[in-house]
Parts: sequence; C-alpha cells; structure tokens
Amino acid sequence: MPKKILIVDDSSTMRKIVTRSLRQAGWEDCEIIEAGDGQEALNLLATTTVDLILSDINMPNMDGMEFLRQKATLPAIKDIPVVMITTEAVADTVEKVKELGAKGSIKKPFTPDQIKETLGPLF
Amino acid sequence: MDLHANIINNTREVFSSMLGMEVDPQEAIEAGMTHTNSISGIIGLAGSIKGMLAVHAPEKVALAITGGFLGMEVAEINEDVQDAIGELANMLAGGVKLTLTDNSSEIKLSVPSVIYGDTYNVSAPSKAVTFIIPFAIEAGLFYVEFHLVTTDS
Repeated sequence: MPKKILIVDDSSTMRKIVTRSLRQAGWEDCEIIEAGDGQEALNLLATTTVDLILSDINMPNMDGMEFLRQKATLPAIKDIPVVMITTEAVADTVEKVKELGAKGSIKKPFTPDQIKETLGPLF
Repeated sequence: MDLHANIINNTREVFSSMLGMEVDPQEAIEAGMTHTNSISGIIGLAGSIKGMLAVHAPEKVALAITGGFLGMEVAEINEDVQDAIGELANMLAGGVKLTLTDNSSEIKLSVPSVIYGDTYNVSAPSKAVTFIIPFAIEAGLFYVEFHLVTTDS
C-alpha cells in the first residue's frame, strides 16, 4: 500500500523539491500532503492519518520544535515518525529535536540518496 | 575561518545537489552595488554574531534558478520565484551558520524576506565586514552578499 507522507515547510519550493526527491528516491507512488507550518500540520493531522512526517524547523507561526512538543502530547499522532529537514542542522539542534522525538535530521541542501538513506529504515 | 571559501562551497553544493547546475564564482566585489530589475532574498543573523546574507538575482537569472529548483520553466516573477530566492538565501545562510558557530545554535536565522524592483540598493552598517561574491550560471550572474557584525565591534 502506498505510503502517505506529510511535508511541513513554509517554502512551497522546498515542499516541491522534497516531493520530487521522495519520488527519485524510489517512493514514486507515495501520497503527499503539505502544510505551511506546525499549526497547519496539527490541523491536518486532526483529521488525516499519515505514515511519516518531514518537517522544517525554522518556520513562522509554529516552528518545528513547537510542532514536535505539541505532537508529543496528542495520543492519536504522537507515534507517527518525524524527520526534520532543515538548514539548521548544527549538532545541538539535531540533539534537541531528537530529544523532542524526531527520528532523524536531514540537512538542506540534500540529495535523493540522502533522503533514501535516512527514511529507508523508517519504512 | 574563510567566509569567502565557505560561501563559494555552500553555493556550489546547493546548486549542484538541488538544481543540477554548476556555478562559476567570480572575484569578490565591495558591497554597495545597485540592483536593476532584480529580486533579492535576505536572511538576518542574530545572536552572538549579527549580520545578513542576501542573494541578488536579475530577473532572467532568478527565473532560471527557480526553474532549476522546480524542474519546470518559469516565465515571470511570481510567488514561486520569490519563494525560491528566499529559500536559496536560507540554505546559504544555514551553511554560513554552521561555519561561524562551530556546530552550535548560538546564531539564530530569520525567516527569509524578499524584495524586488526596478532599482534598489542594500546597505550595511558602517562597522560590518561586507563583501559580494558574483556567481555565473548559463543565464547570467547572481550575487551573494554577506554582512558580518560581531558583538565586540
């Protein structure tokens, strides 16, 4: 069954690049839904189930850190794996998002191979 | 720390991995240039080091960059172009942050601001270390501008 993936990023360009990279990485038939920030993502997840969430950190309204915090308090969605895709992949940020429940971090810029390497074990 | 080399390497990496394009860096120039029929993406740096990174692209070059990001032809300056140039600045600023902070998050990056117009200038605080690196792609030149103000200055 095709995977359903939520991409959370305030940049529509980046959402399109991530979508293209997922397809190039081998998940051609995955279903993609998109949100522009953490709050939009939480709103979507209130009515939709997904297999995986890919999220930026630095976003207006609700950033990726706060999204992780709030998601962890919601029993219906707290176990959905999240991988951060961010320009802010410095060591202490990577560690902090891990503590908040993220399964991994991918640094922008990235290649489809890096997407495959990080997400493969989660599928 | 060689900021010039860092910005050149980051720009090459972004273009090669995400646009499938090679860039040809040119000799750095002093800030203060006037931009004509261009679009600029600007990221502010705050925290232990303050400054700004901007990407300036004439319209034709901005359309080519956006087309490379999206994998499709883009014919006019629209929201996609504004978003793409802002995101390009964001990725380049992220690379600079990694260099300047020794792998910690003591520098905060703003979300991108984008400006465009017929004629405009971007100016720096008088104490800032400032430079502009031109890069050539097939569509023409674009510019990466960096201002750095340390808290000690």
